[in-house]
Amino acid sequence: MPGLGTTYGRGGATTAPSDVVHSDAILIMGSNMAENHPVGFQWVIEAKEKHGAHVIHVDPRFSRTSAVANTWVSLRAGSDILFLGGLINYILQNNLDFREYVLHYTNASVIIPETFKDSEDLGGIFSGWDAQKKQYDNTSWLYQGVKADEGSSDHHDNAQSGGHSQHGIDSSTDLSTYEQDLTLQHPRCVYQIMKRHFARYTPEMVERYCGVSKEAFLNVAKIYTSASGPDKTGAICYALGWTQHSSGVQMIRCAAMIQLLLGNMGRPGGGILALRGHASIQGSTDIPTLFDSLPGYLSMPKFGYSSKDLASFIRANKPRTGFWNNFDKYIISMLKAFYGDSATPENDFGFNWLPRVTGDHSHQAYWLDMMDGKMDGLFVIGQNPAVAGPNSGMERRALGKLKWLVVREMVETETATFWRDSPEVQSGELKPAHIGTEVFLMPAAGHVEKDGTFTNTQRLLQWREKAIDSPGDARSENWFIYHLWERIIAKAKLDLRPRNQGLLALRMDYAIKGERREPEAEEILQEINGWTIADHKQLTTFAELKADGTTACGCWIYCGVYPERGRNRGNERDPKDEYGHGWGWAWPLDRRVIYNRASAKPDGTPWSERKKLVWWDEAAMKWTGKDVPDFTATKPPTYVPPPGAEGDAALAGDKPYILHADGMGWLWVPVGLNDGPLPTHYEPLESPIRNPMYSTQQVNPAGLNRARPGNEYAKSPDARFPYVLTTYRLTEHHTAGGMSRTLSHLAELQPELFCEISMELAAELKITHGEWVTLVTARGAIEAHALSTSRMKPLTIEGKTVHQVGVPFHWGYNGLVKGDIGNDLIAISEEPNVRIMETKGLLCNVLVGRRQENAAKLKEYHSIMEGKTA
Amino acid sequence: MAAGEKPVVPSHPKASEERLDAIRNEAAATGKVVTGAGRVYANAQIPGAEDYYNLPVLKPPTWTWEVPLYFFVGGIAGVSSVIAFVGHLFHADPPMVRVALWIAFVGTGLCPALLISDLGRPLRFLNMLRVFKWRSAMSMGSWILAAFGGCAFLALATNELILYGIQNPFLPPLRWVGEFTGAVTGLLLASYTGVLIGATAIPVWYENRRLIPAHFLTSGLGGSSAILELFGFLLPATQILGFAAAGIETVVGVILESRLGRVDAPLHHGKSGWTMRIAGTLEGPIALLVRILWHGSAKGRYAAAACFLLGALCSRYAWIWAGRASAHDPQALFESQHAAMTASRAARRTP
Amino acid sequence: MTHKAAFLTDATICIGCKACEVACKEWNEVPEDGLVWSGFSYDNTQALGASTWRHVMFLEQPATAGPQQIDMENPFRWIFLSDVCKHCANSGCLEACPTGAIVRTNVGSVLVQSDVCNGCGYCVVSCPFGVVDKRHPDGRAFKCTFCYDRQSAEMIPACAKACPTQSIRFGELDELRKEADVRVAELQHRGYTDAQVYDPLQTSVGGTHAIFVILGQPDAYNLPPAPEVPTIYLKSAWTSALVSALVLAAIVCAAFLF
Repeated sequence: MPGLGTTYGRGGATTAPSDVVHSDAILIMGSNMAENHPVGFQWVIEAKEKHGAHVIHVDPRFSRTSAVANTWVSLRAGSDILFLGGLINYILQNNLDFREYVLHYTNASVIIPETFKDSEDLGGIFSGWDAQKKQYDNTSWLYQGVKADEGSSDHHDNAQSGGHSQHGIDSSTDLSTYEQDLTLQHPRCVYQIMKRHFARYTPEMVERYCGVSKEAFLNVAKIYTSASGPDKTGAICYALGWTQHSSGVQMIRCAAMIQLLLGNMGRPGGGILALRGHASIQGSTDIPTLFDSLPGYLSMPKFGYSSKDLASFIRANKPRTGFWNNFDKYIISMLKAFYGDSATPENDFGFNWLPRVTGDHSHQAYWLDMMDGKMDGLFVIGQNPAVAGPNSGMERRALGKLKWLVVREMVETETATFWRDSPEVQSGELKPAHIGTEVFLMPAAGHVEKDGTFTNTQRLLQWREKAIDSPGDARSENWFIYHLWERIIAKAKLDLRPRNQGLLALRMDYAIKGERREPEAEEILQEINGWTIADHKQLTTFAELKADGTTACGCWIYCGVYPERGRNRGNERDPKDEYGHGWGWAWPLDRRVIYNRASAKPDGTPWSERKKLVWWDEAAMKWTGKDVPDFTATKPPTYVPPPGAEGDAALAGDKPYILHADGMGWLWVPVGLNDGPLPTHYEPLESPIRNPMYSTQQVNPAGLNRARPGNEYAKSPDARFPYVLTTYRLTEHHTAGGMSRTLSHLAELQPELFCEISMELAAELKITHGEWVTLVTARGAIEAHALSTSRMKPLTIEGKTVHQVGVPFHWGYNGLVKGDIGNDLIAISEEPNVRIMETKGLLCNVLVGRRQENAAKLKEYHSIMEGKTA
Repeated sequence: MAAGEKPVVPSHPKASEERLDAIRNEAAATGKVVTGAGRVYANAQIPGAEDYYNLPVLKPPTWTWEVPLYFFVGGIAGVSSVIAFVGHLFHADPPMVRVALWIAFVGTGLCPALLISDLGRPLRFLNMLRVFKWRSAMSMGSWILAAFGGCAFLALATNELILYGIQNPFLPPLRWVGEFTGAVTGLLLASYTGVLIGATAIPVWYENRRLIPAHFLTSGLGGSSAILELFGFLLPATQILGFAAAGIETVVGVILESRLGRVDAPLHHGKSGWTMRIAGTLEGPIALLVRILWHGSAKGRYAAAACFLLGALCSRYAWIWAGRASAHDPQALFESQHAAMTASRAARRTP
Repeated sequence: MTHKAAFLTDATICIGCKACEVACKEWNEVPEDGLVWSGFSYDNTQALGASTWRHVMFLEQPATAGPQQIDMENPFRWIFLSDVCKHCANSGCLEACPTGAIVRTNVGSVLVQSDVCNGCGYCVVSCPFGVVDKRHPDGRAFKCTFCYDRQSAEMIPACAKACPTQSIRFGELDELRKEADVRVAELQHRGYTDAQVYDPLQTSVGGTHAIFVILGQPDAYNLPPAPEVPTIYLKSAWTSALVSALVLAAIVCAAFLF
């Protein structure tokens, strides 16, 4: 998310899957799109079959996507930045960038101060690294002429950030004063720095360390870079194959940079499809269930000087230029939605009732706290960490340290039953009698049993109407939270300490329907959309939001979905054009392809007839076209901001990236990322080789590996774990299997856990196809059937054969079909920006036979890990 | 998956790298590979385009033990009617005729019971008479069995009444009608079962469709005369019929042994093959030999009769098991069809 | 309603997602058909049957898929195809059924009427494609109904509806036949030299209402290259039966005359 957020301004897919029918080339990498987004993949098929698009799939495995791609290239899991850096180098060395686009729409020409030192100069780290705090000070990354904002020293404390707010953009610094060289010749302009930075990412490098032959790599480079220019565009699709890495955000950054260099952003058939994993996971970051983000990607206040009052908080988050200049309007309107009439200018609109972030409260961090006995209780809603959590064995053990656990689920998941049948209990390591956790399993309604919206990967809100009542006591989340609130409020009313004021101030007056007393979901959506308080009239756009408390809006980016009473645009099903306007509603303001100002030249005319999307209508004096313009409709292309202008008025008419303070696409990220302004290659936390780029910096320095007993790591390389492990999903199952292993129609499609190994590895280890093998990592061991197949290809890395082993993670100990838990193998680790764990590119070993048969060998591994044997 | 079928996840001895290399090279070069131990490593797929994981194309017969027993009983009952009619016509021993009619009648009770028991929904047995379809051997068979039942009952009842002493002028002609129609329907009953399995998609059955009806009829012939012999009717007629049946069965056995295509493998290999051979030997050469060697003694004739009956019964089971084995062999089907395509193409080429 | 309803299933755009299998099971309430891991690539369903009416096949072959560029030493391709009851023009199961349970509908499909079927099992051995089978413990025969109930309500079959890439297309047989030919010609032109239509028009089956675009030989998909409707064997079998019957009658006569 911050990979895209920092590069473009918003951290989400920039287009819809259906837009790829306009692509001339589609690069799918870090994704198995056909497998995990089969419905969205129909447009890739359409692009390929009806429009001749060239589909390239780069993936360690030959998967269902590879089977229908035009070109497939394997690569070593975790070496993506080498490959993508190689593509960037190829573009820069051969001058294949879309020059006019790059000059006007990106910060390629901006000059960086002398104080900046590149990772190439410092052996793998950038200037500003504080080895003690283990974080960067980004002052030397700022544009020349720009000053850092001193008043927010606590604002940059990485330990407290999860990278989701403001899509990762740090908005305190005024970036609008910068210096440029439009000839791109200045040695310290971004373009030249990039050229030097990526100079060593040669095809030879790619061959030697990714395991991709030069020919194959150059073929991909040639094909993809040819889909660029006024007449051509290319799209990049990625998913968890990039995000679940210790340098995941930087992998995405590489792709984002490629799309800027090739001029593909904001144009039909271009863009980046960040393929999110669940049906509504986009929604779960928009209206976030994240510790560091408020609705609409507003910063969560952190404990410190910048949050002592609303004014300080606004000052720390409101840049002078760009759309985030409206931050105060967004936050105040949100507070009015939260607290209703209780929020007044006198009490800072209830700002001090918002909790403060005091540290790393991400999943990984608090789970380790749980393991250390620091947590009393936990609500687990619609998640199954006993199977899906990283180092799930440790997560299950940690659950036993809680005093109480509430699980809200449709089925009895492994998280709910860990205390009686987890592998630790089954093996006798833990006894239920000694687990003191009191577990409450509250039945949850399924998605057809409640009203509400899904927001899917293309930012599209689609309303769902309840079709049937949930059975028995099963209830929706809205019902649960509302009724829990009712009970808590009853107690809070009798306890008038100041700490309860915020609780009592919450505005929860929704209509309550029926016997079951269900809160009216449409009213919640109306509140999310927002209204003017005086007349309770729905707002139609976030431009109407005010900072004086006269507007309420639960989530500013959703403003417009419910523009008038009785009109729920999320429920509209009448598509009027090829972009689907009239079917659902996409944020922001139903713009389907964001940054679409870039689909026109600086002068406002389309780059070409073939690729026109949005253009300036001189007669009507407004932007028009096939999509809603992602731009102020009446701002002419020739607009020059007057001095001292603020917000959107400070951005010129040829600056498409309106969330950015400088309105440009950021090839260079001066603020917002914790691990560098440019991507550079680090090896995964466990690797079969030393970092070929830097001998002194093996892994991403800013990440956290959380190494501790029970969460150990192999060395890099490690003779005990010679194979590269990658974990992934299958079409037939859904994440931790709660909804698929319990349903016979899905369970029978993939009934048992298997791992995929190459035929060469099977022959080498004398493994019969189909027989049980045990996979072991430094964290744990599981047994699976061995599926030996040509689709797993041994790679040649540094002249030696490296085998890759793949295993899906869907199985657990409940349901119609059971199996060992894949995530027992992976580690709890945190990527520096978004805290996501690394699930691919780890090291493992493969033993013939079941876990039981290998008990002695596994004991050996375990004791080595615990340091008991040398 | 076929009902109740479990897929074969084979356990094989370990392979070697050399064998794996050889398989890969061969596959790349020819698109085909010799199947065998090495195949399993290659995800069971390296063999080029021969079939889909060696899974069956067809579904095996779902019939259980009642059906082959029905073939056996029905054949005997049907030919018994013929023997009764012809015997009566040529003034054979009346007690023998009477027993033959009883054998037929008992068959009319046993046969439907067996078939109904095999049905998936036995209570819906009457649906068999919902339609009359020339092109369905089973539909024809249902009507034949029903008709036979009526005729055999008529023949028996009239005969018993006459024997009891009832002097009705209609009884004798009715008896002739019953015996004649019983014989005709009996012939059909004893032979249609061969058509039933011959006109299916199962290769070993349809490839042998001209042989099986004759084979089943002969079993019925030898079986009914054997039962008559066991009842003590050691007449020249039953001896001749015994010889004829065993002789024909011997010839059938030779013909079956001479069929060497892959399609006919179930006739020689596996459970069906061995049963077929043992059964064929019993009802063919052994029955013949015993009858020749001990043609004079009653015990010899009893032994020959018993051999024949045992062989005939086992042979019915062998044919059903052969059908199952045949359905399980995709290569048999492909071979037979490719051969047919080549033949028809060759036929078309020669003007 | 479509006059001669048909499926065109195209292996070259199938992504193996099995939505067709699941949609069919959900709509028709088809029971679970075995929770067994086969090891046959991603195909644990293995074959059509009484409780599987759509079956997605997974073929890993040492051959190239037309012009596809694969970074492997040896040629390789992974093909997916969704198999279904062929709803033959001359249908073995229909001809064989002695109760009249199996009928031709007004949309040209072959339907097993479950309220008539008594589970005699004759259709099972009469299908040259090995589709229909008896379901245990139910006892009756079942197979794809062509979603006759949906078609009667002007809807398309569940599998076609669910297929995200339109690998399964539903429509008029004549039109789909033309489309298939056009598609194969296009594929051949693009370099898929072994693309072909599987539609056994030249055999006694007389063509099917479910036709396929495949790469390579039908054998690899367990599709019989020359399927025949078993009624073609009736003539020779009955002739043999009747001739044998006459011979037998003669033998019996001879036995009693001597």
